[in-house]
Amino acid sequence: MSILASSDRVAGAASVGRTKRLRPSYWPFVVPALVVVVGVIVFPWVFTLWMSAMEWRVGEEQRFVGLQNYVRLATDLRFLEALGHTLVYTALSVVAPLVLGTAAALAFNTKLPARGLLRGIFVMPMMATPVAIALVWTMMFHPQLGVLNYLLSQIGIGPLQWVYHPSTVILSLVLVETWQWTPLVMLIVLGGLASLPTEPYESAQIDGATAWQRFRYLTLPMIKPFLMVAVIIRSIDALKSFDILYTITQGGPGTASETINLYLYSVAFTYYDIGYGSAIAVVFFVLIILLSLVLLHLRQRSAWNSGDGK
Amino acid sequence: MSRPLRKLLDKAGMAVCVLLLVSPALLFFLWMLSLSLKFEIDNGAYPPILIPDRFAWKNYTTIFEGNSFLLYFWNSLIVTGAATLFALLVGVPAGYGIARMRAHKSAVVIMIARMTPGLSFLIPLFLLFQWLGLLGTLWPQIIIHLVVTVPIVIWIMIGYFETTPMELEEAAMVDGATRWQIFAKVALPIAKPGIVVAFILSVIFSWNNFVFGIVLASRETRTLPVAVYNMLSFEQVSWGPLAAAALVVTLPVLILTVAAQRQIVAGLTAGAVKGG
Amino acid sequence: MASVSIRNVRKSYGPVEIIKGVSIDIQDGEFVILVGPSGCGKSTLLRMIAGLEEISGGTVAIDDRVVNDVPPKDRDIAMVFQNYALYPHMTIADNMSFALRLKNTAKSEIAAKVERAAGILGLGPLLGRFPRQLSGGQRQRVAMGRAIVRDPKVFLFDEPLSNLDAKLRVQMRTEIKEMHQRLKTTTVYVTHDQIEAMTMADKIVVMHDGIIEQIGAPLDLYDNPANMFVAGFIGSPAMNFIPGSIGGDGFTTEDGSRLPLGGRVPAASDGRPAVYGVRPEHFRLADEGLAAEVVVVEPTGSETQMVLRPLGVKAGREDRKRELTWVLRERTGARPGEVVRIAPDPALAHLFNPDTGLRL
Repeated sequence: MSILASSDRVAGAASVGRTKRLRPSYWPFVVPALVVVVGVIVFPWVFTLWMSAMEWRVGEEQRFVGLQNYVRLATDLRFLEALGHTLVYTALSVVAPLVLGTAAALAFNTKLPARGLLRGIFVMPMMATPVAIALVWTMMFHPQLGVLNYLLSQIGIGPLQWVYHPSTVILSLVLVETWQWTPLVMLIVLGGLASLPTEPYESAQIDGATAWQRFRYLTLPMIKPFLMVAVIIRSIDALKSFDILYTITQGGPGTASETINLYLYSVAFTYYDIGYGSAIAVVFFVLIILLSLVLLHLRQRSAWNSGDGK
Repeated sequence: MSRPLRKLLDKAGMAVCVLLLVSPALLFFLWMLSLSLKFEIDNGAYPPILIPDRFAWKNYTTIFEGNSFLLYFWNSLIVTGAATLFALLVGVPAGYGIARMRAHKSAVVIMIARMTPGLSFLIPLFLLFQWLGLLGTLWPQIIIHLVVTVPIVIWIMIGYFETTPMELEEAAMVDGATRWQIFAKVALPIAKPGIVVAFILSVIFSWNNFVFGIVLASRETRTLPVAVYNMLSFEQVSWGPLAAAALVVTLPVLILTVAAQRQIVAGLTAGAVKGG
Repeated sequence: MASVSIRNVRKSYGPVEIIKGVSIDIQDGEFVILVGPSGCGKSTLLRMIAGLEEISGGTVAIDDRVVNDVPPKDRDIAMVFQNYALYPHMTIADNMSFALRLKNTAKSEIAAKVERAAGILGLGPLLGRFPRQLSGGQRQRVAMGRAIVRDPKVFLFDEPLSNLDAKLRVQMRTEIKEMHQRLKTTTVYVTHDQIEAMTMADKIVVMHDGIIEQIGAPLDLYDNPANMFVAGFIGSPAMNFIPGSIGGDGFTTEDGSRLPLGGRVPAASDGRPAVYGVRPEHFRLADEGLAAEVVVVEPTGSETQMVLRPLGVKAGREDRKRELTWVLRERTGARPGEVVRIAPDPALAHLFNPDTGLRL
């Protein structure tokens, strides 16, 4: 909580020399939440870090092993494979919703009839309970009885094995993830579009720019900061994706769709190898933070309105 | 091209556009409904049937008969309700305090909490609950759901309180209000829409949560998402009742989404756009 | 009602000093206006009187009681904010009675006080409405009503008219002045508009860069500005400043023209550089006067304003500030390009030290 503490020191500096503060202190408002945050968020972080340096299996003696768990990770082929799956899955699950979501936002930014209701329906996939929709997707993916293969057969494709074959399982899961999270990208970009000034468009129209040119040279550069936000959020969420993967494939067939998160689950709660699991959690956490920092840095550079747009 | 024809084409284009936009969501949920209302024989038919000749209403009655579904519904209600109410109780004042102290950097903690995978909270807290002897009760789930609900509430409320003008509170200060009176009688009533947004999002994300349940829930303390998942893994899979159960689990959320879509959109985009 | 005494007050944010030692004495019942360009520290000073800003040095006393460490709620003051700060979730009546309700005043007393204030301001029919249903002028009145109901020792106004359109501003100006004449509550009023200050105040405090340039009655400041800043700030259009030097019994401009001083030559100042200040309305046509070319003629109906360029001054951006403004009450047939000869009224002219800006 050093961050909280330091910000108070700055606030306190302004009133140096005064015995009594005129303004009310706002600390009492924050303290209860601070206790909760320390208890359920900060404590787990610190404790995980500590456990990752231990040989710790449920029901056995604990032993300090230093960095041994991390060394083991570097040579754990199953972990490295999971890392690869995670990166591929994440990359695809960022790009596909980004493209589709931006297109949808452009469509929603026009004068649609019943826009509110349509938007409500459009965002349903991301608000629906992931386990519930995952079950239905499982049924739809069924090679013999699934509706997807039936639909494909109507246009002369298939049948596909979908999540039941190692070569198509990740793409199939990306399909679900894209279906689920395109709405979020759409909402973010739509927010960006709503904030755009109208004069440049009128001026461009007078200058004779076509619709495509207006999109390419006006809209796209101006919504870039919002696209970057969407990329950041999407990347974090795709890295952490669990419910869909666990419900539909549990990492299978074999380990063909096992991501770091799923592997972490197996190690910690199937094999009860707490120490090793904690090390995976720490590495995973660092990976997410690093990626976020890189993306944040890129976003800072892309912000044309960094003054006020944040 | 003549004007009326052009207008007609524009309208047709618009209609196609609308259809394309909502069809992935609409068709999916229609199919879900269809699955839940068909007998096994219709669900196994090829080519698939969208609207069956007879509806299998018993799919819905069976899930409530055999599977302690009402108990799980109740568990979900308790966990989500308690975690949300508690989060509002501590998170709304915290959002106020952080906004007023301009302690923006403390919001970084909230951001990182959002970025941390749920599983990495689970390992230490699981051990803690085990050590405290809480496993087997609903407490572990209520407490760990705070990991989800508290950051949502704080995050949304910071944004909300920041946009309410400081001048109002200064006026109240001059009018003779104490800091608690200012909070209760001026800041809080003005922030009501924000509280509604925080409440809705907190409820939805807590209700939907699955990962905490599969580790922490025992047979008696399952929440709905875990219960539905268990139907898949431990019973002879029969699509009708399974789809019916899935629909029942997510129906409250879907209704809330359509009914409160304006608030949800406001909350999600505020968090997202500011959150980067 | 009360007096307010500000003694050597300072305010700094870190190393930056916003207010650099300011002292003002405000008598019981006086209407004092703090005026100055934006950033001069006038609002900060007002907020320090209110208790919304902490005081870095010096003292503020209300009725001889030092209030530096007294929170706003215990200072018995009422404040009208620039954006009115009406509580949007309360009716007009509730807005006005909020302070009284916080003090658990008896219901009947609250009702009586609200009714009286509503009567003074003509808000009676609006009491049940919400702020969003009111026009700008009505909101302004509610904000004042909220202050009146309190019956405080001091009224504080922070640029209360700056969000109103020009016509309404003039009307509210009159209403606030009337209200003060009726209630006789000590009032401190902040504005950047010198016309507001001139028309409303008993006493004006002109501030600039965190210091007080001059304190005085409105016409006093107009007639006897202590320095070039006050001379230029008070009065519209602004005073003309002509650089040059004092010599003999007159003033010689930089390009050699002579301006009369009417025998008011300061002692031992022969040949000394100075700035000759004359208000636009204090020129008249004169054969022996300064020759200048008419640049722009701006008739307003009641008077005519003219921009003149003294012969010898080149046209162009650089010399814009050496152009003169002349305001005359009678209509004129003068056209741009014509040359006129004008002379200042020496009895109403001012001389300033060009280095210090002080009046000679």
